[in-house]
Amino acid sequence: MTDNVSLDNTLIAAPPAVTPRWLWLLGGYLLIFLLVAVIWESSKALFAIPDYKLPHLTQIAEAFVRPTPKGPVWLILLQDASYTALEALVGFSLGSLTGFAIAVLLQRYVRLRQGFLPYVIASQTVPIIAIAPMIVVGMGRMGAPPWLSKSIIAAYLTFFPVVINVLRGLESVDRDALLLMRSYAATDNQIFRLLRLPTSLPYLFTALKISATASVVGAIIGELPVGSTRGIGVQIVVGSQYNTFNPGFLWATIIAAAMLGLLAYGAVALAEKRIVRWKREA
Amino acid sequence: MTGASNRMQVWLAPLLVFTVTIALWEGLVLLFKPPVFLLPPPSLIWQSFTSQFGQLMSYGFNTFLEALGGFVIGCGAGLVAATVVARSPRLSALLLPFAVASNAVPIVAMAPIAIVWFGIGPGSKVAIVAVMCFFPTLVSAVRGLTDISPDALALMHSYAASDWQTFTKVRAPNSLPFVFNAFKICTAVSMIGAIVAEFFGGAVNYLGIYIKTQASILKTPDAWAAILVACFFGLAFYFAVVLLERWLMPWHRRRG
Repeated sequence: MTDNVSLDNTLIAAPPAVTPRWLWLLGGYLLIFLLVAVIWESSKALFAIPDYKLPHLTQIAEAFVRPTPKGPVWLILLQDASYTALEALVGFSLGSLTGFAIAVLLQRYVRLRQGFLPYVIASQTVPIIAIAPMIVVGMGRMGAPPWLSKSIIAAYLTFFPVVINVLRGLESVDRDALLLMRSYAATDNQIFRLLRLPTSLPYLFTALKISATASVVGAIIGELPVGSTRGIGVQIVVGSQYNTFNPGFLWATIIAAAMLGLLAYGAVALAEKRIVRWKREA
Repeated sequence: MTGASNRMQVWLAPLLVFTVTIALWEGLVLLFKPPVFLLPPPSLIWQSFTSQFGQLMSYGFNTFLEALGGFVIGCGAGLVAATVVARSPRLSALLLPFAVASNAVPIVAMAPIAIVWFGIGPGSKVAIVAVMCFFPTLVSAVRGLTDISPDALALMHSYAASDWQTFTKVRAPNSLPFVFNAFKICTAVSMIGAIVAEFFGGAVNYLGIYIKTQASILKTPDAWAAILVACFFGLAFYFAVVLLERWLMPWHRRRG
């Protein structure tokens, strides 16, 4: 509110002397990070928290750059994270495509919708991710490539949010626009292409943003059962096993996993900005 | 949705889908005989479910208690933080992006750290669930506390209402629908969080560990039966919150 007042004063002068919002935010973020670092290190010193519980920030940084026979740790983590990202991406694409197709089918056929929708909705209140170990172990025994089971987990975690949101989007067309199309004797296909599809896009992206993270989580969870050899989930398990000897590495693996989740989310958010230009979400 | 026939169809169609799916599943498994560990027939899952019903329910209850503990701590802390953050637009502009971004972070991946901090027992699971519930509640509650019609605020101002009165009479009631939306999301999140955090390790009498162990020794029907129990607790938790919502907000009915 005070910003507006000072704006009025500077309107006459050529360069507005108001601090830009982004600069103010950046300063705030830097302050927060500094604050976190100070609290982190001082509580460590104050309460004598051992390294295996809370390593020094420098230990985490050092864990990233430490050399190994296969190259520095950050490079290994990058490779494992990319592997997990690929698993998640395959599942994400598979899940969102089938989810979209099913949503279109359910929108077209009322009978199908009545039969299946309750289950799709119930799937959101039920921990479906619990099936993960069975898929990994079962498919591993069948000799499927190791990445496939992780992709399938990511796919079914992506599937349900996409169905629900796209269906909601396809249904939430403007009444008047629908009547207008009907009065022009537009076919169902035309209504779909020109009206329902564009309306559903923001809803689709809401789902995709949820699913992007969910697919990464799914892939990581899929890497937990014994027998997995690659991926950031494997590194997290290794990190937790060697935590007492090598404090810092566990945090490094978890930071890598967090970055992966943020990156997946960011990629979808960026795509949304490019594609859905006509409508910004609140 | 009026008329008895229509209402019956609402129940009939899902029931039909359920029956057909189970029959198809059973039939196809009988026909193609895939290995039991890959896809057990429903009859075998049911058998495993009934034969160890008591045990499974007690495991489920243990896991549910973790989820509930994390839910109460996480959502409670989220609400308290929201009342503080919502007081300052600057503070919320600064902090909310973090809270939103935390949605994109695989929080369950932090389970090993939680185990180091709070031990292999329920404490670490409660902690993970609490963190997972904290952020959605914070974001929704801040939105609900600040997304007030200016007229209502102006009216309160004209009555010389105190900050506290504005809070209890306008802001808090206005935030309830937002808060309950977050709560409903958090019921699912908390069950998922508890089970998945258990995948990282813990005692055997919890659902997540039971599922993981039975899956790894290829006793898939047991694991599926455990998932049935997980679904039961997940749904029960969800509907408990829905009931609470109806009771607290009789004026607000969720739109289909």
